[in-house]
Amino acid sequence: MTDRASFLAAIRSTPRGLDPGLPDRRDAPDAPTQLREGENRADRLQAEAEAASTVVHRVTANDVAATVASVLVETNSQRIALTTDLAPFVEDVQAAMSVAGLTGSIYAEVASNRAQAGALDATVTGCIAAVAASGSIVTSAAGAGRAGALIAPTHICVVRDEQIVGGLHELFDGDVLAEAGSLFALQSGPSRSADIEKVLILGVHGPGNVHLVIVAPD
Amino acid sequence: MSATREDVGGTPLPPGWAKPAHQPDAFELTTTTFEERAAKTMARPFARGAIANATDHAAALTTARFVGTDHQALREEARRIRAHAIANLPDYLDQWIDQAERKGTIVHYASDESEARRIVAQICTDQQITRVVKSKSMASEEVSLNSALEAVGVDIYETDLGEFVVQAMGDRPGHVIAPILHRTKDEVHELFSAMAGHELPNEAEALTAFAREGLRHAFLTADAGISGGNFLIAETGDVLIVTNEGNGRLTTSLPPIHIALVGIEKVLPRRRDLAVLLPLLTGHGTGQQITTYVSVSAGPRRQGEPDGPEQMHVVLLDAGRSALLGGEFEEALHCIRCGACQNVCPVYRQVGGHAYGWVYGGPIGAVLTPLFRGQEEAGELAQATTLCGACDDVCPVKIPLHDLLLGLRRRSDADGHVPRHEQLAFALWAQVWSRPLLYRATTAVARGSLRTLARDGVVSAKNPLLRRWTAGRDLIVDRRPR
Ligand code: SF4
Repeated sequence: MTDRASFLAAIRSTPRGLDPGLPDRRDAPDAPTQLREGENRADRLQAEAEAASTVVHRVTANDVAATVASVLVETNSQRIALTTDLAPFVEDVQAAMSVAGLTGSIYAEVASNRAQAGALDATVTGCIAAVAASGSIVTSAAGAGRAGALIAPTHICVVRDEQIVGGLHELFDGDVLAEAGSLFALQSGPSRSADIEKVLILGVHGPGNVHLVIVAPD
Repeated sequence: MSATREDVGGTPLPPGWAKPAHQPDAFELTTTTFEERAAKTMARPFARGAIANATDHAAALTTARFVGTDHQALREEARRIRAHAIANLPDYLDQWIDQAERKGTIVHYASDESEARRIVAQICTDQQITRVVKSKSMASEEVSLNSALEAVGVDIYETDLGEFVVQAMGDRPGHVIAPILHRTKDEVHELFSAMAGHELPNEAEALTAFAREGLRHAFLTADAGISGGNFLIAETGDVLIVTNEGNGRLTTSLPPIHIALVGIEKVLPRRRDLAVLLPLLTGHGTGQQITTYVSVSAGPRRQGEPDGPEQMHVVLLDAGRSALLGGEFEEALHCIRCGACQNVCPVYRQVGGHAYGWVYGGPIGAVLTPLFRGQEEAGELAQATTLCGACDDVCPVKIPLHDLLLGLRRRSDADGHVPRHEQLAFALWAQVWSRPLLYRATTAVARGSLRTLARDGVVSAKNPLLRRWTAGRDLIVDRRPR
């Protein structure tokens, strides 16, 4: 078996190609995934998320729990799990759910049994950030878990206004990813495939029903 | 083994799913010619129409996506990042390995295809892995991983919808990001109904739901997930995977072991380079703003995390890549596998991916296949191009595909790999056309004879003379009414 030293030595023994140098981030050109001058982050996030077939709810902190509960009722979800990154809304959401006659487990308790996790109807998560210009939420292994945001047919994500970054540069230059754990993930709308004769189908392996609850600043 | 695995071990899959079908390896190169393989696709009108339509659509979306941005500057930035990463490949790989190991990833080293197969088969044997879910990986196609794993008793489920169909049909993927572009809904319907044991509704939605259900079961019971990797980030030891279906993330989340097989050229220096490369990869690939799922992982599940694998293995694959470093064809390693060059290539649009005979189709396939498989086996692919340059204009990292193809043709000619009748014809042609009078005489004769073959100024695709040129296209001689 080849080991690290001989593997790298073989690569090092080759001639070295032309190196144009690593471009400086400060001169990075514009991309579709960057916020434009004067654009409002929450508005752009909403527009991009909707373009990717996400249902967007703009609410105040007081209305988060009721909004989540009503989506769960509408989607007829029974087996529901919440992830811990939903804090500070976990208790409010659980209360509103019980008013609606629903109960939710904590995802970490369900996830240790794959069969149970795979049978969930809906998950409710927070996120570590949202990227306005790409319409993405960013979840972490430490928060929503690796699969918490895509294991069930319905996914509801709550994002607070101050968590929204403008574009991809801001996300990767910032420090929110440092605490993500063994995985972070950008997720932008429902799972999709157009493999069969280019007909767009939502909800292939991940959720077909994706709701984004954007919480206005206090 | 982990508790997760015991919970569901031995749970049977639905009937018809018990044993996944065997998918043939990419071996056609050695036994068939480009022309023979192309004829197969061209004989199926649906495939040709679908390929041309879908590729038109993708190209239009790409253009629309970058309106209002400095697209050219972004491509130049991406080219520089890729060129820099490849020029410093051993250093960045070294850094990536350090970081990945620090986070608990077990790194393996495969110098060639057979070593890659041996390593993954060994992991499966050691860890008693018998059921594997796989998310799309071109590297695993390169090394014919599935056969090697079947040989040690592993059942493999391709989980990308298109790849799953390809596997169940015993077919090969036809496009780098749309594997069943060449297949009809009716064919999928027939296949899935046979698997289900009853007639399913012939609608894309119902067919997708059928696949989802069976594959979900496979996800929940698999002993390991095998993926490729779109990028490796040197600074952090990350492996990045993009998918639209979500199967990539489930592959790396649900089974207790994750194995990624990744080509060494996939290294990027920093996470922030993704801000340049991700919009180009997706914008040029599917025309989306961003791929639905971008998953970036380093190491197995950590303390306190609710889910994730107990082990993460990464197999670094060389298999002909380092041989290109510092040479005439180094830029082929800059490729980020977006598929855009296929979409605009007039040859690919006619003949489809299978004609290229191995794993990669279109212009990048015509470049990589002879480089990885050798001139002897695949040298003829450098001729499978019109040298129109459309691929150069569309490549997000500005690979000069046209120059690389010309270089390969030169090399192929120097090695004497030009068919004899072609050599003779070109020698004669050079003789004749270097003399003005003879040139005029021959073109006049050619025009005259084409007119006699043509009807209303067009030599039909059905004409048996000139068959090689007119197979797949009409030859317009003269549109003037007579
Ligand atoms: S060569 Fe360029 S256009 Fe073709 S797949 Fe690679 S990156 Fe895309």
